[in-house]
Amino acid sequence: MEKKDKDKDKGYNRREFINNGVRLTLGLTVVGTGALALTRSTGKDYVWQIDPFKCTQCGRCATDCVKAESAVKCVHAYDLCGYCDLCGGYFKPGAKLETGAENQLCPTAAIQRKFIEEPFFEYIIDEELCIGCGKCVKGCAAFGNGSLQLQIRHDLCLDCNQCSIATVCPSDAISRIPANEPYIIKGDFIKNKEG
Amino acid sequence: MREKLDLNTSNIATGLLVLAGVISIGWWLAKDPVDELVTTQPGLDNRGAHTAVADIDIGAYFESMGTIESELQESWPRFRGAHFDNTSRSQVSLIESFPADGPHVMWKVELGEGHAGAAIYKGMVYVMDYDEEERADLLRCFSLVDGSELWERGYHINLKRNHGMSRTVPAVTEEHILTIGPRSHVMCVRREDGAFLWGLNVEKEYEAEIPLWYTGQCPLIDDNKAIIALGGTSLMVALDIESGEVLWETPNESGWLMSHSSILPWKFEGVKMYVYSAFGGVCGVAAEGPNAGEILWQTTAWNHQVVAPAPVCMPDGKIFLTAGYGAGAMVLQLTKSGDRFNVEVLNEYAPKEGLACEQQTPVVFDGHLLGILPKDAGPLRNQLVCVHPDDFTKTIWTSGQDKRFGLGPYMIADNKLFILSDDATLTIARPSTREYIELDSYRVLEGHDAWGPLAIADGYLVMRDSKTMVCLDLATSRQ
Repeated sequence: MEKKDKDKDKGYNRREFINNGVRLTLGLTVVGTGALALTRSTGKDYVWQIDPFKCTQCGRCATDCVKAESAVKCVHAYDLCGYCDLCGGYFKPGAKLETGAENQLCPTAAIQRKFIEEPFFEYIIDEELCIGCGKCVKGCAAFGNGSLQLQIRHDLCLDCNQCSIATVCPSDAISRIPANEPYIIKGDFIKNKEG
Repeated sequence: MREKLDLNTSNIATGLLVLAGVISIGWWLAKDPVDELVTTQPGLDNRGAHTAVADIDIGAYFESMGTIESELQESWPRFRGAHFDNTSRSQVSLIESFPADGPHVMWKVELGEGHAGAAIYKGMVYVMDYDEEERADLLRCFSLVDGSELWERGYHINLKRNHGMSRTVPAVTEEHILTIGPRSHVMCVRREDGAFLWGLNVEKEYEAEIPLWYTGQCPLIDDNKAIIALGGTSLMVALDIESGEVLWETPNESGWLMSHSSILPWKFEGVKMYVYSAFGGVCGVAAEGPNAGEILWQTTAWNHQVVAPAPVCMPDGKIFLTAGYGAGAMVLQLTKSGDRFNVEVLNEYAPKEGLACEQQTPVVFDGHLLGILPKDAGPLRNQLVCVHPDDFTKTIWTSGQDKRFGLGPYMIADNKLFILSDDATLTIARPSTREYIELDSYRVLEGHDAWGPLAIADGYLVMRDSKTMVCLDLATSRQ
């Protein structure tokens, strides 16, 4: 009886040992994979981006990107926009407030102006036409709320090891930021540096 | 037979080549290589047609909340104060530093979104305000000391927010209060009790165009006349302050438009005139005499779409004009020869090249102009600067890159500069022609866009951000 119990204990332990070992291996694999995925999604990868708080709209984003058509585009933070009839980002200073090409600041007519209701107008960026020159951003920053901003579009950016625009940016406005928060937009809907 | 076949094959090939060439040339001739381009022409924004000007029953709304007696005697009766220079002559000594927990707040009141500054008259505060719930444009009267509201007079009108709504300062005399609302509705009431006297719908009566972001012109009472710039069928009008009867109208033959700038009364070489910087040009209009209302001089050299600061006129005939949106500044020289005035441009420069202001009018201290530069002024943007009296492009001092302000107001009282930043931080500085001397600063309100002009009387400073007006007790004797 004593021997039988001893054999029973011995067999149980071996089987359990193997089972537990397999379970542990599978568990560690799952946890490890999850942890790796979590790590990747929480910002160990970085992308290039422009800090609109530092950007001085020098125009080099349009000319120094390795892509023939720059990956930098103007984006519009609508919550900051005043929807003004006289938009400093759309019109040349002193221009007539109408959509004729001679009045527009944008060299490629990439901003569409749309009447909403008196006295409000909406300004929409056509990224197909935008070359990232920043003329509209400069105009908006000088006279408006700064709702037009330059950003590197990550569907266009090649994410070079060394961004060629960053090397020439006079205000050091381009840096690596976590890939899970790839854009820096001024506006109440995101945290800003002063906040 | 074989030769014939070769000949036929050769002919077919040649024919096909010729046909392909003809088709290609035809396609080339017919195809417009730029037919996919869209020309950018006026009207692509589908701007709506101008709606008819609404009939407004000016003065019909009134609500009385009480009455008080006040022993206070000082006043800040209009835009830029009694002397049109944003400088208080009060003898009340004011603090030069704030207590640790900030200035003593007498009262605070919520207002509709806007930038309208207050006028103060013998213990009463008068401010224009748009009540979004009531859908009414109101002149509101408060007690200066405790902020209790005494009455409000106005009219119902539907307005939409457009970077704020109310943005003008009433003009107040012992007998009258004159106001102008966002859509240029002029209203005159009796000061004592707010009784309605008369109103004028400028947009309707004079076909005037309301400036972008609503009316910014502050009305003027001068010599018992209400003086209003129009920019419609007439350029300027004078009305009897008691009855509203038209006394004279200045023709607007050049079709100038109303700007945000306010009319400045000025006496030069013994001739009193009203200087006005319109959208179209700047002029001087005879203020009195048989030719009252006539244009004495004018120039279109200064012509900008958005002009908010008032002209600054110097005793030597120099007129300083400035505006935002890239306009910069211009200095005119007015001279008089016999009965004729002559005006010439002394200097014109970009905002980066000298003193320029976007919204507020510079102040004069000891013959020097002080002002805050606009955002497009390069490295000195948003800094307070002092310029040389003989050359406004020569900067004597700046507040420095660590001390930038914005579009907020500034004034001089008790030999101190009070400067309000966009975020309602109030800075006290010592006015000087040698250097920037900051004494103290404190964030008074938590809001933003604190652009409404300041008003001070009896040591009480009334200031605001976009939604809140506050009264501070700055008198040293009451600390």
